Amino acid sequence: MATYAEMQQIYDDIRGDFRYHHELNGCLNCGICTATCPSAQFYDYSPREIVQLLWTGNVEQIYDAMQEKIWACAQCMTCAARCPFQNSPGGLVAIMREVAIQHEMQSAKDVLRPFGRVMLKLITTGNQLSPDMIQPDHFPDWGPNIQKVEGDLRTLRKAIPMKTLQTTDTAWEVSLKTSVEMYTIWEMTGVLKSLELMDENLFDVIEDFIDEKREEYDEWLEEQEED
Amino acid sequence: MQDTVLIVGSGPAGLSAAAQVTGAGRRAVLVEKEDTLGGAPILSGYAKLVPSGEWARDAIGRMVQRVEEDPGVSVHKGTRVTRLDGEAGDFTAELDNGQKVQAGAVVLATGFTHFDPVNKPEWGFGTFPDVITTTQMEQMVANGRITCPSDGRTPERVAILLCVGSRDRQIGREWCSKICCTVSTNLAMEIKELSPETEVFIYYMDIRTFGLYEDRFYWTSQEEFQTRFVKARIAEVTASGDGRLLLKGEDTLVKRPIVIPFDLVVHAVGMDPNQDNPEISRVFGVDLEKHGYLQRAEHYTNPCGTSRPGIYACGAAYGPETIDDSISQGAAAGCRAAADLQPHGRKAG
Repeated sequence: MATYAEMQQIYDDIRGDFRYHHELNGCLNCGICTATCPSAQFYDYSPREIVQLLWTGNVEQIYDAMQEKIWACAQCMTCAARCPFQNSPGGLVAIMREVAIQHEMQSAKDVLRPFGRVMLKLITTGNQLSPDMIQPDHFPDWGPNIQKVEGDLRTLRKAIPMKTLQTTDTAWEVSLKTSVEMYTIWEMTGVLKSLELMDENLFDVIEDFIDEKREEYDEWLEEQEED
Repeated sequence: MQDTVLIVGSGPAGLSAAAQVTGAGRRAVLVEKEDTLGGAPILSGYAKLVPSGEWARDAIGRMVQRVEEDPGVSVHKGTRVTRLDGEAGDFTAELDNGQKVQAGAVVLATGFTHFDPVNKPEWGFGTFPDVITTTQMEQMVANGRITCPSDGRTPERVAILLCVGSRDRQIGREWCSKICCTVSTNLAMEIKELSPETEVFIYYMDIRTFGLYEDRFYWTSQEEFQTRFVKARIAEVTASGDGRLLLKGEDTLVKRPIVIPFDLVVHAVGMDPNQDNPEISRVFGVDLEKHGYLQRAEHYTNPCGTSRPGIYACGAAYGPETIDDSISQGAAAGCRAAADLQPHGRKAG
C-alpha cells in the first residue's frame, strides 16, 4: 500500500501531463460515457467514475482505480465521441496508464506481462501477428470463417497483389531501414524506457537485438557508399 | 426624420414591438417572411404555453389580432427585406416584393430556428418513426391524442430526452436553450392528462425550471403527474425485435449501464440561432455574437441595441428566450425605437 504522499505524487503526475486539461473540461455526471462504454457492460469499470475521481481530486480512489479498473478500458474512445463537455475519459485512462508505468506499479506489470511476447514479435519482425500464428483453436471468435485461412498459406498469400504482403512468417515485410527508424521512434517517445521499467529481462533481450540490427544497417549503409 | 419603425419578424417579440410603436402614436411596418403571423408558437403549432396554461392559438392569436386590427401597422406577409440603406433616423429598406419602406428605426424580432435532431443521429430521429421532437409532441397534444407514429398505438412508456441540441460541445451548441426543461415538464403533464396510463420519463443532466417554474412545473409534474426524472444522458437509441425502442443509458445511482425499452422517444430540441442570421447580419449590417445570435450593443445602457445605431433587437434573436421575456423585450425595443423618431407634433422637413 502506498503512502498518502506517494498517491498524491501519482495524482500530480497525472494532472501534470500536457494532455490533461485538454481531456478534462468538467463533468455533470450525466453518464453518457458509461452508457456507451463497451467495457462497462462487462467489467467493474465506469468512465464516469474515472472522470469524477480526477475531477474531485480523490487521490486514494484514483490510486485504487489504477490497481485494476483503468486496465479494463479498451481505448475505443467512444466516450470521447459522446461526452457533451468534450472530455475524453479514454484519454485520461491513457495518461493514468502511463503514470502507472512510470511509478512501476505492480498492476501495470501484471497487466502488461502477457504482452511481452507481442512486444518481442513486434520489435524483431515489425509486426504483432503473423499469418503462420493463426491456429483455429486460438481464434474461436472467428467462427467458421477460420477455414478460409486454413488452406495452403503460402499459395493464399501469393494471391495478394502487394509483394510485401506475400509473406507467411510476418504480416508484411518490413525493411531494415524502416525497422531502424522505428527503434529511434520507440526510443525517443519513451516506449523503450517504459519497457525497461516494466520488464528488465525483456528489455535486455530487445536492446541487444536493436543494437545488432543497427550495426547491420550501418554496415549496409557503408556498403552503399563503397559501390 | 421619419415617423415609422420597421419591424422584422412577427413572433411574440415582433407583435409586441408593433403594438408598442403604435401605442406611442407612431406607425409600424411589420415584415414577415412566412405567410402567417405569430412566429414559432403558431407556425410550429404549440399546445398550452408556459406558464399561463393558455392555448398558443388563443394567446398568441390575440396578439396577432391586435396588430392586424391596428390601423397604425402595415403588414407585409411572405416578404423579406433585401437591402437597408441610410442611418439612424432615416433608413430606406427594400423588400423582395418590390416595395420600399422609409423608417426612422428598425427592430429585428427575427427569433430562432428549432434544432434539427438529425444532427444527433445516434438518438434515432429520422431513423425510427417513433422518435419525435417536442414540437411534434406539442402538435399531438394540440390535436388531443398521444400515439406512436409507427402504428398509431397508445404508448405505454414515453421518454423525453433533454438537452437535444443544447449544452453539447460535440455539435457546437455551447448554450442552454433555457425553456426546454420547463416545456418538457409541461408536456409530461399534458401527456398524462390525455393518456393517464402512459408512463412518462424525463432524462436529464440538470433540471433548469428556473424562478417560479420550480414548484409549478418541476414539483407538480412529479407529485401530481408521477413523471419519473432520471439523471442520465442517453447514449444511443436503437430498435428491439418487438418494434419498441431501446435506450442505452447509465443508471447513475447504481453506476451501471442499462438498456431501457420505450414506445415513444421525444427530443427536447433546443433553440438554434435563426438559420437566416448570416443573411440578416449582411442585409442589416449588424454583428453576430460567437454562437451566431445577434450581438447586443451594451448590456446595461443600450440593452435593445445592436452593433449598428438605429437598429434594435428583441427576444430570441439575441439568444434562447422565453415567450414572456420576448414579449417584454419586444415592448422595450419598440419603445426605444420610437424614441429615435422625430419629436411628436412636428412634420419632417
